[in-house]
Amino acid sequence: MEKTLNNTNAGLTNSILRHLKYSLGKDSAKATKQDYFEPLCMTVRDRLIAGLIETERRYVQEDRKRVYYLSMEFLIGRALGNNLLNLRLYDAFREALAEQGLDLEELREEERDAPLGNGGLGRLAACFLDSMATLGIAGFGYGLHYEYGLFKQEIENGYQKEKPDFWPSRQDPWEIERADEACLVPLYGRIEHGTDRQGLYNPMWLDWQVIVGVPYDMPVVGFGGATVNYLRLYAARASSEFSTEIFNEGDYFRAVEEKIAAETVSKVLYPDDTFAAGRELRLIQEYFLVACAVRDIVRRYLHDHATFDAFPAKTAIQMNDTHPALAVAELMRLFVDEYELPWERAWEITVGTLGYTNHTLLSEALEKWSVTLLEKVLPRHLQIIHEINHRLLAAVLSRWPGDLDRMRRMSIIEEGPEKQVRMAHLAITGSHAVNGVSALHSELIKKVLVPDFHELWPERFSNKTNGITPRRWLLKANPLLAGLITRTIGADWITDLDCLRGLEPYAVDPAFQREFMDVKKKNKELLREVVSSTTGIAIDGDSLFDVQAKRIHEYKRQLLKVLYIIHEYLLMTEDGLTPLIPRTHIFAGKAAPGYWQAKQIIKLINSLGETINNDRRVGDMMKVVFIPDYRVSLAEKIIPAADLSEQISTAGTEASGTGNMKFSLNGALTIGTMDGANIEIMEEVGEENIHIFGLKIAEVEKFKRSGAYSPWDWYHHHDVIRRVLDTFRDDRFCPQEPGLFRWVFDRILNEGDEYFHLPDLINYIEVQGQVDRDYHDQSLWSRKAILNVARMGKFSSDRTIREYGRDIWGVL
Amino acid sequence: MRIEESRIGEVLVVKPMDRRIDASSAAAFKALLNDRIQGGQQRIVLNLSEVDFIDSTGLGAIVSSLKRMGEFGDLVISNPRETVMSLFRLTRMNRVFNILPSEEEALASLSKS
Repeated sequence: MEKTLNNTNAGLTNSILRHLKYSLGKDSAKATKQDYFEPLCMTVRDRLIAGLIETERRYVQEDRKRVYYLSMEFLIGRALGNNLLNLRLYDAFREALAEQGLDLEELREEERDAPLGNGGLGRLAACFLDSMATLGIAGFGYGLHYEYGLFKQEIENGYQKEKPDFWPSRQDPWEIERADEACLVPLYGRIEHGTDRQGLYNPMWLDWQVIVGVPYDMPVVGFGGATVNYLRLYAARASSEFSTEIFNEGDYFRAVEEKIAAETVSKVLYPDDTFAAGRELRLIQEYFLVACAVRDIVRRYLHDHATFDAFPAKTAIQMNDTHPALAVAELMRLFVDEYELPWERAWEITVGTLGYTNHTLLSEALEKWSVTLLEKVLPRHLQIIHEINHRLLAAVLSRWPGDLDRMRRMSIIEEGPEKQVRMAHLAITGSHAVNGVSALHSELIKKVLVPDFHELWPERFSNKTNGITPRRWLLKANPLLAGLITRTIGADWITDLDCLRGLEPYAVDPAFQREFMDVKKKNKELLREVVSSTTGIAIDGDSLFDVQAKRIHEYKRQLLKVLYIIHEYLLMTEDGLTPLIPRTHIFAGKAAPGYWQAKQIIKLINSLGETINNDRRVGDMMKVVFIPDYRVSLAEKIIPAADLSEQISTAGTEASGTGNMKFSLNGALTIGTMDGANIEIMEEVGEENIHIFGLKIAEVEKFKRSGAYSPWDWYHHHDVIRRVLDTFRDDRFCPQEPGLFRWVFDRILNEGDEYFHLPDLINYIEVQGQVDRDYHDQSLWSRKAILNVARMGKFSSDRTIREYGRDIWGVL
Repeated sequence: MRIEESRIGEVLVVKPMDRRIDASSAAAFKALLNDRIQGGQQRIVLNLSEVDFIDSTGLGAIVSSLKRMGEFGDLVISNPRETVMSLFRLTRMNRVFNILPSEEEALASLSKS
């Protein structure tokens, strides 16, 4: 760290006061406590920028290979606390502020989340940036500078209402505008087929419109402060303030409209991490990111290199899902058109540089863009994609002569009434490495999703099980547990999570168990206050906190938990049984605004809560709460307080999950299916320390293949199922609005129960009974919870990034 | 749009003096070039030393002028700035036009043809 920055108590105080006065023009005599938030961030930012400059000098000096992580989403959350912890200046700032009568914790609450992502995919990208910086990898995130991030969720009459979340409503304290590194991005236009001076075919891309990409850098500091990388976010601007021609014609409003249209490109994050079919703006967003990133990457490389020979040796580009898959065509266009490399050489460099991470097997989430739309928006890229496909199919034909069916399956262009470009096929063809995000998911990619590609290029495929950063998800989110762990085994776990194994002997130590459960109780108390202030519902801090916090989606099966809750409720109210332990069922998560069923599930949970929480027969034995506006900062309060983590997706649907890892690291036990990374969590923590239930993927597949699953049979043969489902038919939870929840009855019984709720329900109920018994024995429960924490070393994103660095990027 | 013209032998040097050739100026620019070509000018150097941005309408004007000159005329571009050169590369127009770093080289190239 630069010597001129003074990190003593007096130095930090002076810096904060200087920024208050000279950067914000405020008189300290009149300043409110909140007025100190920005000067505090600016003082931290000074230290980040010092590290940023020093790090960049080092990278240039060492001619380091750079990793560029392209992602449409970076779910960063708040940065202040994380930056302070990673700079190891948390205590110094807290003390300096305390002397001014200011509370750092209070000031931290002033910071808004940067909501630049929907869920797991975006949060993974943020964790990866933290790990790359901590491991000293020259790794940079490239994304979009959305003005409106993911919507704010409010609950009105039990329904989700989406409110715009205007993120940079005031200047973000962390970002640095780099207007001097802006770039031009062409769109639309046509291809003029002509010849060059040698008489060779020369397609010219003419009549395009252009938008400008302006980068904003957010420093990303690794733990210890030795490395400061950055996340570069591009904002779209009009190519000039106004079109002077239109303006001169006197049409001021049209000129303004054109400016607004250009800037719309980075205006809003699409509120769904699945595929936004047919959305021209989404396609433009994806290309805008790719075009800005690729230009910047090439510009930086050429600053220090005269030819492209060393490009793959000095550059790795990782595509987070297919959203940035146009990078394949853009790199080829740049090399072939702008730098006049021969196609074969350009292809070799492109494939050597790119890696692709697949995140989903759900067919509706696999991106396909219509050929017509691509031709309209990116005519030159479509030409290049056709050429890539032509060469791919030639390779397929040469390997499997006459196998036309295979050619059809593997083609980048899907034939049909409306021809489509399959982005996953483009990404696989253009990458030297393709990975899934959990062991099961990676196997399914090879065996189910794209077996032909695996057969053609087996060496390209690998698994990189997701991970989470322990700095954000334990050190920052759970300071009480982090403190207990550090007092017990030292602080090495912060950068080497495998050290948590050192806790294992303490799992049977009654004194440690008591301390551990005391930490959990305090965290539950904090969450109890959050629940009270956001929902007005009083919950019992001694009850089991049973949490399902994640996006609302049918495959994640919030509905399965609802069915279980109804079953328990009926046991209490109709059968007069008292449960062994009291439970608080906590839900949180956002539904995509266009996803009707998901939004109805939120309403259902709230209606269920309304009935159950006010039923005197239930009392404190059960509460159901939905905490609104799930986001990173809320997750940091919910996860440390959870006793039970619900990871109950239908086997074969969740690629990995990372929430499962966060809960377990914070001492929650998992109840889950054999899906995604749950399987690996089970392998690590031991079968006796996790509650597994439900169909395995082979059984799900068998049901699907045979068509033997009949929900009505399950309904008729199981009293429990029938009694629960009949509550929807009989309007039990919506007496004022008959018919409101009958869709659940229909969805499950008449529409085939796509996500196999009924075959899993009975086993789920049984295993929940085991959870009750385990929790009843607090010594047993605490031992299991401690062992969960102790055995989570594998799920550090440091481990994941080391694997990417070693196997895909060649930087370790 | 401000354009300077000078004649060196049989070659006409056309030098736009504005920083941008875009939708607001491309029509006038194209009209001037067409006028000179129709007037029998067969060799033109387009000196772009003062220009740092050409949008697609401006590029279209240059392409159409080249076409208008036909096989007996020649239009050479000189002194492009890097920003403009990158636009030529983007469109692959650099493979159609003879583009040279200085006006002298452009004149020499036309005198050879």
